[in-house]
Amino acid sequence: MHHLNLPLGLSLIAFAFTPIASADSLKINGSTTVNLPVAEAAENLRAEKKMEIQVDTQGGSSGGISMLGDGLVQIGMSSKPVSDEDRTKFPKVKFNEIHIGEDAVALVVSKDVWDGGTHALTKQQAKDIYEGKITNWKDVGGKPQKIVFFNKEPGRGTWEVFAHWAYGTPKNAPPVSLPEVGGNEETRNKVGATRGAISQLSSAWADGKKVFALGVKGDDGKVVMPTNDNIASHSYPMSRPLFLLTNGEPSGAAKMLVDYMLSTTGQALVRKHGYLSLDQLSSTAAK
Amino acid sequence: MTKFWSIAFSVLAVGFFAVLIALFAVQSLPAWQHEGAGYVTKSRWFYRAHEFGALPMIYGTVAVAGVALLLAAPLGIASAIFTAEYLPRRMRLAVKVLIEMLAGIPSVVYGLLGILLLRDWVYELFTRFDISSGDTLLTAGVLLAVMILPTVVTFSDDALRSVPSAQRRAARSLGLTRAETIFAVSLRQGARGLISALLLGLGRALGETIAVFLVVGRQDNHLPERWLSLRPLIESGQTLTSKLGGSETNIAYGDPLHWAAMIGLGLLLLVIVAGTTIAGVWEKTAADA
Repeated sequence: MHHLNLPLGLSLIAFAFTPIASADSLKINGSTTVNLPVAEAAENLRAEKKMEIQVDTQGGSSGGISMLGDGLVQIGMSSKPVSDEDRTKFPKVKFNEIHIGEDAVALVVSKDVWDGGTHALTKQQAKDIYEGKITNWKDVGGKPQKIVFFNKEPGRGTWEVFAHWAYGTPKNAPPVSLPEVGGNEETRNKVGATRGAISQLSSAWADGKKVFALGVKGDDGKVVMPTNDNIASHSYPMSRPLFLLTNGEPSGAAKMLVDYMLSTTGQALVRKHGYLSLDQLSSTAAK
Repeated sequence: MTKFWSIAFSVLAVGFFAVLIALFAVQSLPAWQHEGAGYVTKSRWFYRAHEFGALPMIYGTVAVAGVALLLAAPLGIASAIFTAEYLPRRMRLAVKVLIEMLAGIPSVVYGLLGILLLRDWVYELFTRFDISSGDTLLTAGVLLAVMILPTVVTFSDDALRSVPSAQRRAARSLGLTRAETIFAVSLRQGARGLISALLLGLGRALGETIAVFLVVGRQDNHLPERWLSLRPLIESGQTLTSKLGGSETNIAYGDPLHWAAMIGLGLLLLVIVAGTTIAGVWEKTAADA
């Protein structure tokens, strides 16, 4: 076996000296939700300004925050505000939150559930399903079918919005044992392909063909659907801001991307991907 | 000169491994202090409440790799009997090259095949057994079986080929049929090599990450209600690797205890995989001697 070790050792040494990426490219990482318009903006900037931009979605919002904290990226993408814990975790970093739009989280279900007549849930019903106290759709007015809850994995902004709504704060969310899903794409595919499925998902991703967004039923029995108007007026309760995060004021390539996202073109991209742009938010709020 | 370098690099490799183990052990120390033996015997893992019990993940890893081995062992050894005992020399080499090429396919490709085909098959096949989704321990196990099959076949083939032909000829001249010769001579003489092939395959199955991550369901804190039943295999689960491959690694960074607990999972994995592989290589060396 000895002769094997020479090439192995050499390749290890070679690997250690390989530069990982060129230093002058702009690196972005974080939430898959924020990624949609940002990736397209990056695409445009690459073509128009010949900028080098890498956009990645490792670990969702938490990944964006921690990689910005570690200085691995210049811009983090997050669908939740930076918490005090994050700020204490990275004391040297001045987290700067740049609001670029708003997104709603919906409880989405597969087609058979929607066709079975379940179009909205109360908060209590949602909690009981999450905690496994309700296990069949017939108990919330649907057709008999086992409920399969795909839980968004921890660290996802989507999950935190749900936890805030259902339990006040993520810390109060009870421990559960559920299969987990990661990015929005995976969530949509799994819910779409599984009978009796439900999960938390950006409402923009509910296509109304394979996965359907449920409304929220208030104590008065009134149902609020996650429509643009309801999200902007905050009558739909599960919504969240979309942020670009920088360390202090952005500069150079990072500033160009931030400015682009806030421009009319960038805001049009936010709308294109099903989220609410800043002017939509302020115009409805002014009504 | 060659001797010097080969020794130097061998020392480097062993040193690297020792440092790795030491690093993992030191970094995971807070978790062991916090949980004690409960770290490997408790079944609750809730990082928000600082509860770290890794048993369900150990169970998941063992179950998935067990299924893989159970499926790959008979298939792999049977294929090896065919290539080693029946195929003419040239054909054997051609087939072996093809099989070893299969071993080189990146695991994420297998994972995508699992998503594309296997998950739906499992989901439809077990519908009547009230299966929740296609992401199950069984799905991951079957996928791993396909992935480790080349390893098992090619090492088993080596093991059978290393049985001296004189022994076979002696058996045939005593009047044994070809099949009898295989069972009485080749399999018996090559037993250690075959065991080594299985152990090396098992080592690969235990450590595989991406393919498993994609189809296992990643359900935490789930242990079977009844152990002596096949039912738990068509439920979702979590393995050490799928946990480490998930988003929690990002979150854990910054909370020393949580980080230690995640590193502890890495240590467990390292010890299990290294143990299996060393046992496999040990058997192989013994068989080759």
